[in-house]
Amino acid sequence: MMQTSPYVVFLEVITLTTDLHLKSVEELAPLLASKTLSPVELTKAILDFAEESQPKINSYMAFYREEALARAKEVEQEILQGHYKGMYHGIPMALKDNLYFKDKITTMSSKIHKDFVSDYDATVVEKLRDAGVIFTGKLSMHEYAWGITNNNPHYGPVCNPWDLDKIPGGSSGGSGAAVAAGASVASLGTDTAGSIRIPSSACGIVGLKPTHGRVSKYGCYPLAWSLDHIGPMTKTVKDAAGLLEIIAGFDHRDPTCIDIPIDNYEKQITGNIKDLVIGINEEYFFKNVDADVEKAVRASIQSLVDQGAKVEVVRIPSLQYAEWAELVTSLSEAAAIHHSDLQKRPQDFGDDIRLLFELGELPSAVDYLQAQQVRRQIKQEFTEIFNEVDVLITPTLPVVASTIGDDFAELNGQKVDLIDNIIRFTGPSNLTGLPALSVPCGFKGNLPIGLQIIGPAFKEGRILNVGYAVEQANPQRTRKPNIFANI
Amino acid sequence: MSLSIQQLLENKGITPKPEHLELLKTRWEGMQSLRSNLEGIAIDDADIAVRSIPGGDHIDN
Repeated sequence: MMQTSPYVVFLEVITLTTDLHLKSVEELAPLLASKTLSPVELTKAILDFAEESQPKINSYMAFYREEALARAKEVEQEILQGHYKGMYHGIPMALKDNLYFKDKITTMSSKIHKDFVSDYDATVVEKLRDAGVIFTGKLSMHEYAWGITNNNPHYGPVCNPWDLDKIPGGSSGGSGAAVAAGASVASLGTDTAGSIRIPSSACGIVGLKPTHGRVSKYGCYPLAWSLDHIGPMTKTVKDAAGLLEIIAGFDHRDPTCIDIPIDNYEKQITGNIKDLVIGINEEYFFKNVDADVEKAVRASIQSLVDQGAKVEVVRIPSLQYAEWAELVTSLSEAAAIHHSDLQKRPQDFGDDIRLLFELGELPSAVDYLQAQQVRRQIKQEFTEIFNEVDVLITPTLPVVASTIGDDFAELNGQKVDLIDNIIRFTGPSNLTGLPALSVPCGFKGNLPIGLQIIGPAFKEGRILNVGYAVEQANPQRTRKPNIFANI
Repeated sequence: MSLSIQQLLENKGITPKPEHLELLKTRWEGMQSLRSNLEGIAIDDADIAVRSIPGGDHIDN
């Protein structure tokens, strides 16, 4: 006699009435925990949608269909037997292709590493596996994470689900596009000058760059050692909090990891921001901003004031050197990593990153050391600011997503350099290592706008709570992209 | 004597793409202008940013 699945009755109701791929982890987790939804059906639905959407958005580098479904069956048994582990148990997820999976190819979306196989899991992969996450595949990225367009010369461009002619941002553009469209329920990105927050803002999702040292980078291919971070990219703020709780923590294998207890981030999300003091820096973070972006961000700040927060204007003089320090540090460290390949096989790099590696050979040791001194001063000024205010709020980007293939952005009718402008507001938090969260706060036409919340070191719970208040106050928070309407 | 960008790279065993030379010059000059004169920054501060940790990583544990 054929065995009847305990899920069958409920599944028919769910799949006929809802789009599983559009649901957040906070919506799916209770269904999985209560055995109303089977992880096998959920994984199948996500994989089906991911494969169907691939010709449109090109977010995946590789699909792990067979092993994902096999793993989903194991997870289903674990849950049926009463061993539900928590929010991410049974959640299908694909990760950025610079995070190592044991015995799997990790390409960094490059030609040079197209056949590279790691013999170990990255720490974050190990932690997600233990939490019951089901891996559906690997996601595309800007080659070696060194760019913000995700217009990859070897594997094709990733397209923004809100407008297929636009970039998703980068370097974690595959993660941004996949989460926004529904090809992955959530994901991880990496961030050296904004590579989590940029695609999160451009694709209308939540992106968190934690404090430097909060999440182990062991098993992540580096772009620039002292600036790199790994963090959540999710549909909602609560999803990001749950994901951070899994991946955070000390790891002796990462020399930059710091041994500080992990907070209960979800518990800190109360939505109460009464008496919160918001710092606004006009000279740097609100200078040369698209008028519609500025309007949306200021409207969100006003909504926080309406909920009981206060605003204080702050000055951070050394920020005037931040772009220079970020460029010298990131260019030099990245060039050091790729120096040998730049000598021996420069033709195997995409043109745009070859130019950046060549440029990275030009700063002197004196330039690099002076940039580190500048960085120290910026850190000190931020520390002093956080004695006066609880968080800083800025636009995540000064512009919305630009057209694929353009090397400029439109800023209030002017064409401006794309890369310099896109990293202008995100880069300082890589220099300081402070946590920064991008949350959707509105739209310019059909393109999402992100708001950035920066907090003191290891205060991820605080910025997540403020992000939640922003999210709940956003009247367009339920708006979803439809890639199949975009023909 | 100042070296050209091409010479500087070739001295390091790197052959820049010819089409990149003009772009490299423009970008490098752009970076120099961002650097400005670092006035007000404690460049020679005794508390340096690059640290040596005796005993190796995670000595605090």
